[in-house]
Amino acid sequence: MMNDNKQTRLALVVLTATFALLAVAFSLDLFGKIAPVQELPLVDRELLKTETWRRSYADLVRSKAELDDFDCYTCHEKGKKPVLKYDDKQQLIIPDEHSDVVMGHGTHGRNNNCFNCHDDENLEQLQPRDGRALKFEQSTMLCGSCHGPTYRDWEAGMHGRTSGYWNRTKEGTEQGKFDGPFKKQDCVNCHNPHSPKFPGRQPAPPPNYLREKTPSDSSHTSH
Amino acid sequence: MNRRGFLRSSAVFGVGAAALAASLKPLLELKDFSSMEKFLQKYYREMTPEDMEKVLTRITHEVERQYGLRPHVQDLKPMDGVSFVYALNLTRCIGCRKCVHACVAENNQSRSPEIQYIRVLKMPHGSLDIEKSEHDYNPEKVPEKGFFYMPVQCQQCKKPPCVKVCPVHATWQEDDGIVAIDYDWCIGCRYCMAACPYGARHFNFTKPLIPKDRLNPEMAYLGNRPRTQGVTEKCHFCIQRTRAGRYPACLEVCPAGARKFGNILDPESEVSKILATKRVFIQLKEDLGTSPRFFYYFDV
Repeated sequence: MMNDNKQTRLALVVLTATFALLAVAFSLDLFGKIAPVQELPLVDRELLKTETWRRSYADLVRSKAELDDFDCYTCHEKGKKPVLKYDDKQQLIIPDEHSDVVMGHGTHGRNNNCFNCHDDENLEQLQPRDGRALKFEQSTMLCGSCHGPTYRDWEAGMHGRTSGYWNRTKEGTEQGKFDGPFKKQDCVNCHNPHSPKFPGRQPAPPPNYLREKTPSDSSHTSH
Repeated sequence: MNRRGFLRSSAVFGVGAAALAASLKPLLELKDFSSMEKFLQKYYREMTPEDMEKVLTRITHEVERQYGLRPHVQDLKPMDGVSFVYALNLTRCIGCRKCVHACVAENNQSRSPEIQYIRVLKMPHGSLDIEKSEHDYNPEKVPEKGFFYMPVQCQQCKKPPCVKVCPVHATWQEDDGIVAIDYDWCIGCRYCMAACPYGARHFNFTKPLIPKDRLNPEMAYLGNRPRTQGVTEKCHFCIQRTRAGRYPACLEVCPAGARKFGNILDPESEVSKILATKRVFIQLKEDLGTSPRFFYYFDV
């Protein structure tokens, strides 16, 4: 009986001592605190925009923008074909007036004749190889006249950007609650027709690791 | 009991009680006790429309209290005759990571610490070996010569290992193929994270931090409503957009048009045509038998 009492008392003393020690430890923060969450920089809202990176002539026409800059016959003379000049490597010399044009369509500089696509008799038109005359707004048809498979993919929505509704309203049906229009982009909204390959661009910031690296560490990693 | 004994035992008892109280101090750091309403909430798939109505009201109030913005929370159901498939063109992807950040903005992920559903892997040409990939590349300009880029996110597997391991059925596959999570049912055991071969699931180790002016108020119960500390989350094909007929956010922001999404049961959809006509397409780690709904393909 006496023994039991002693054991109980011992257990109580040990428990009390343990709690007292824990209390001291917690109040002195001996176990260390949870590291505060580091506030990471927010991403630039520019990166979240869904617009295409360039605007086409057709967009400008649709938005009724100022088109004076696109009037060819302010400088050119009607009925007179412009003459192309080539250097001794058979490369086209771009006149200063058109210095914004970068010729990079096709490899090895083989596509170096403006009038493969532009109409030399009417500069406000485009001319595919089949002899049609197309307006600038119809440039997608011109692209399609050479890039057949890509044009076919584009028509099916497989090539190029789409936006809006995947659940699209079929022709002749009424728009319901969960379907609506969808938008395809023209070729020239993403590709520069004179240099269609996408230019390189700066990537959006890489992931920040949880307490492994600070954002300042994530500088350019060379390869 | 004599006077001395009483004093001694009450002193010991007093110290003991004080020590017990002090040793429980860390509990004070627990914030966000869930409301009784949330605690007693039913499992998503057992809720009646009336129950759901109440839950959506509760969530609306909670978000409004926390972010000072009235959200539009919906519970969108799968559409009939719709099975979602995603296709990604590896020839087109330029590795710009715009999809990663558009996804974060759309789906209200935590900004600090960072949770991102999409990880873009930089891979050397001529290999599909993920061991050789790099995901924290940050050169002046992308794409870099000799590499291609492979964004990886939840593959919405037809045989999802994460669903198989969940001990409380807090995650399951919906009829349109989306693997959904009931954040209010998740117990945070992280088995699903261990089971997923794609690293698609992410855990809220802390209370997620979303700046008020970056909150997307268009929300869905199984989708982008703000999560709490201690639950898992992942890509859900932007359930709040796609079940309302719209394209996912990552697709709309892609500057290269590399991402394609649609209903595989509709033969006219982009994804049906891609899987029918493109010559090469892979399912990531298809040898594991997870059968992803996310396909990678190449332009021939």
